[in-house]
Amino acid sequence: MAGAALRDQLSALLSSMFSQGLVDEQFEQLQMLQDEGGTPGFVAEVVTLFCDDAERIIAEIATLLEQPIVSFDKVDAFVHQLKGSSASVGAQKVKFTCMQFRQFCQEKSRDGCLMALAVVRNEFYDLRNKFQTMLQLEQQIQAYDHKQQ
Amino acid sequence: MRTAAAAAVRVLVVDDSPVDRRVVELLLRTHCGGGGGAGAATFHVTAVDSGKKAMELLGLNGQRRKQMCPSSAAATAASDANEQAIDIVLTDYCMPEMTGYDLLKAIKALGSPNPIPVVVMSSENEPQRISRCLTAGAEDFILKPLKINDVQRLRECSCARPKAAVTTDSDGTVSSSSSRKKLPSENTAKKVATSEQKTSPLAGLAMVINASSFEVSHYFQLLFKFILIAYAVLCLSQLLHTWSNGSFLSLWCA
Repeated sequence: MAGAALRDQLSALLSSMFSQGLVDEQFEQLQMLQDEGGTPGFVAEVVTLFCDDAERIIAEIATLLEQPIVSFDKVDAFVHQLKGSSASVGAQKVKFTCMQFRQFCQEKSRDGCLMALAVVRNEFYDLRNKFQTMLQLEQQIQAYDHKQQ
Repeated sequence: MRTAAAAAVRVLVVDDSPVDRRVVELLLRTHCGGGGGAGAATFHVTAVDSGKKAMELLGLNGQRRKQMCPSSAAATAASDANEQAIDIVLTDYCMPEMTGYDLLKAIKALGSPNPIPVVVMSSENEPQRISRCLTAGAEDFILKPLKINDVQRLRECSCARPKAAVTTDSDGTVSSSSSRKKLPSENTAKKVATSEQKTSPLAGLAMVINASSFEVSHYFQLLFKFILIAYAVLCLSQLLHTWSNGSFLSLWCA
């Protein structure tokens, strides 16, 4: 019963993430690969990698934007990286905010970039929280199933 | 020299993004059999984060193969175990220092009689970039993020490389795996047709179509529009010619 409740919670969380556009069909594909390919932990590993990588990139961008003279090419390169990783994971909203960020990089607008960075950061933190909840629920479900056996 | 089980396809993945590397790696490893296909070849994945490391690995591989002499069974076994021979390189386009395009050209320039097939992937759908890579000798160009269907394309590209021990295996493997794969029928037909065309001179054309199918259809649309416009211009000039001859009324009567 507790297992069913946990599964419902997880399923509701995933549905809301999809409906809010936080994740897209690429994320769904990763989930399918995990289920069909019999590789448990696939999604957890990729999601964790993404979160660590995104954290690093955001910090690098913040540092670059604090410089007296901003190297917009370097900022753009980092944003491009983040856009790529978020696309690979299926983090749709983060990907879109990165695309907008690149516009400001091309305009060489520091204020625009700072604003875009704030948006990317917020979206990323929001997604990261949801991912963390998702992983916790999955762990709890696995622990519960393991106990039942 | 492999006997028994279907030969694993040894892929070298080159991508500076750790997330992309891992996703591609897991995608290839997980989707080897499509859920229990015993005959389908698995992927053995090596991942590096730069073109420079890829060249080191391939360069070492080349040297090792030159040094390999089939004198004793022990030596051959030892070199097989240590061998990091690569069947296909899958590289990202955008990388710092050495781009995927630079890596592609460097690999093709390695000068071996059997150049390793290189597939380029990119998140940007730029026709110029695609045609540049294909012209430089890339077997295929895949858009990121990689999908399950792209894994089949990769397997076919790796089979494009003629290998004495593996040729018959790979043909059998490709046909059996393509029949077992749960691909959309349109893609399956395309893939089977592509694999059959491998030995024909149109193999290159098939690769281009496969890789840039969207872009080719786009060009066909442009071509079609051009033909329509040319036809319209011809008709218009014909009409004008007729009108200028004063046979306007006869045109209306007829």
